[in-house]
Amino acid sequence: MTRPEPLLEVEDLEVRFPSGHRGETVKAVDGVTLSVAAGETLGIIGESGSGKSTLGRAMAGFLRPTHGRVLQLGVDPSALGRHDFAQHRRAFQIVFQDPNAALDPRMTIGQSVREPLDIATNETRAQRDHRVLDLLDRVGLDAEFALRYPHELSGGQKQRANIARAIALDPKLLVCDEVVAALDVSIQADILNLFVRLQDELGLGYVFISHDLGVIAHIADRIAVMYLGKIVELGPADDIMRRPLHPYTKALLSSEPVPLPKALRTENRIVLNGEIPSPISPPSGCRFRTRCWLAADRCAEEQPAWEQYAPNHWNACHFTDSQSRGDASGPAQFAAILPEH
Amino acid sequence: MDRPLLDVSGLNIFFKQPGGRETRVIADLSFTVAHGESVGLVGESGCGKTVTGLSLLSLLPPEIARVTGQIGFEGANLALLSARQMQDVRGRSIAMIFQEPMSALDPVFTVGEQITETIRTHFRVSPKEARERALAALEDVGIALPARRYDDYPHQLSGGMRQRVMIAIALSCEPKLLIADEPTTALDVTVQAQIVDMLLNLTEKHGTALLFITHDLGVVAQACSRVITMYAGQVVEDAAVDDVLGRPQHPYTSGLLRSIPRLSMPKSVLPSIPGRVPALAELAPGCRFAPRCTYALPACAEAQALRGDASHLVRCCRYAELSLPGAVA
Repeated sequence: MTRPEPLLEVEDLEVRFPSGHRGETVKAVDGVTLSVAAGETLGIIGESGSGKSTLGRAMAGFLRPTHGRVLQLGVDPSALGRHDFAQHRRAFQIVFQDPNAALDPRMTIGQSVREPLDIATNETRAQRDHRVLDLLDRVGLDAEFALRYPHELSGGQKQRANIARAIALDPKLLVCDEVVAALDVSIQADILNLFVRLQDELGLGYVFISHDLGVIAHIADRIAVMYLGKIVELGPADDIMRRPLHPYTKALLSSEPVPLPKALRTENRIVLNGEIPSPISPPSGCRFRTRCWLAADRCAEEQPAWEQYAPNHWNACHFTDSQSRGDASGPAQFAAILPEH
Repeated sequence: MDRPLLDVSGLNIFFKQPGGRETRVIADLSFTVAHGESVGLVGESGCGKTVTGLSLLSLLPPEIARVTGQIGFEGANLALLSARQMQDVRGRSIAMIFQEPMSALDPVFTVGEQITETIRTHFRVSPKEARERALAALEDVGIALPARRYDDYPHQLSGGMRQRVMIAIALSCEPKLLIADEPTTALDVTVQAQIVDMLLNLTEKHGTALLFITHDLGVVAQACSRVITMYAGQVVEDAAVDDVLGRPQHPYTSGLLRSIPRLSMPKSVLPSIPGRVPALAELAPGCRFAPRCTYALPACAEAQALRGDASHLVRCCRYAELSLPGAVA
């Protein structure tokens, strides 16, 4: 049996930006290798400045890699000519955090959702209008919304319209960059339910970027933890949440404020010192060492190797074997209330 | 029992609309904060949390907002104070911090100048002593090398550092009450954990009471002993945090808790609250949450009072018979 071709492969990807000072560059993404299978949700977590959004944009083909490559269904989008790229990119769409900024205030919702169809298909106007109503229905908006303007919609409704627009050309993959961060928790629940339903109905793959661990734990099949341009840990969602290996992952999980009564919360929280360093001159060796309580001389000298510790669970830390295995700090509090599955 | 530090009772806030009409955005709000107590004020956007916080310090623009009712604080009614008298309270007895530290700090003054300004407004101290107090305040909030940061401008600091500076300013005059309006919402969870810990340590050390305005029930669980849930300009529930998380008595509070993704199985359908927060100009007289409530009965069309015993108040006529799911199902 041959393995199905992955939807998306990222090989040793680097994205650099000039920083404006003395020819320095910001290594926003620095040597990332990943893949996303069809119909899968890969969650990416990390602090602001870790390079999550830049990685997401490169995965969607919106940014040209400085080094390495992105293969979408086996094709490198940056190697395509203009015409072929326009055809190819339909399958890879992106949804952003701010639902206001992504909709043209002078276009009706119907026009915004129809726009991709106007550009990319040869259908008649009546066919396209019909498709718009279908799309609105799919994302849970009544037909009347087609005639409304963005300012007449709530944040949640606008985000639904953006999702309708993103799925208009039958994509295979959606990169969702903090898509529920601006929404109240009840509306956020509705939109997450919509993403889960659309994935079932359309077989979409998602790259879900969020700083909210609860959101990622809920929606992701696998989770990549990113720190200063590098993936430090990657594994099945349940494994990462219950048995994190990397000290950074442990710290992130244990700093999540959990809405549980005191008796059910774990008391051994890890509070990290300081903030994420500048990506212009990242620390030598392991990048997390300046904030890590396990750091030793070796961490400044050698980059930790990327190794597999459990099935499909990868991690880069010199101390994983001696210190971290089997220590389930952080997520234990949820283990108390969520059944094993 | 001791008199509470803050005793808000029958607070109403009206916003003037074009054409002379008024909309009541806060309706008959009553709650207390005891000395040294940490109280959370939660609810979705538009429920009136921030407006309530601002009204306590007379920070609402008088040409738009009309405030009636009692804001009892240390024996005085703040609602009756003149603008001049209010200046002595603001920053001295009650301080406030906001979500976005960059817009709360003045970009053209150094960090040190902004702290000493507050100190010298409220205390007759020499510039030298003000500087020493400011440096101590910076050290208290965990800023490394305060003497160097003293001369920095806000743009030279990270978001987390700016929020630390805001807290240093707010606590520099040792207020009795600190109102914190979404102070960690714009920060990463790692920095949020640092700031919440620091805020709790400092308020405990100085006996400062905390009114923590947030939409995040996780932060409330960590930072507060009591939580007040607001919906559409009213208090709908007021009780100890662990009681509310374990066994909420108002369907709205229960709905908020159940829609948190962390508390459901991965990829399962998250329970959400149907419908939307009503427009305040067109409210029916009955329970304001009834149109979205799965437990609503004809009786809910009547105006609802806060009921229950003093340790767990709830604005729902069915509170005694309903057993609502909380964070622990």
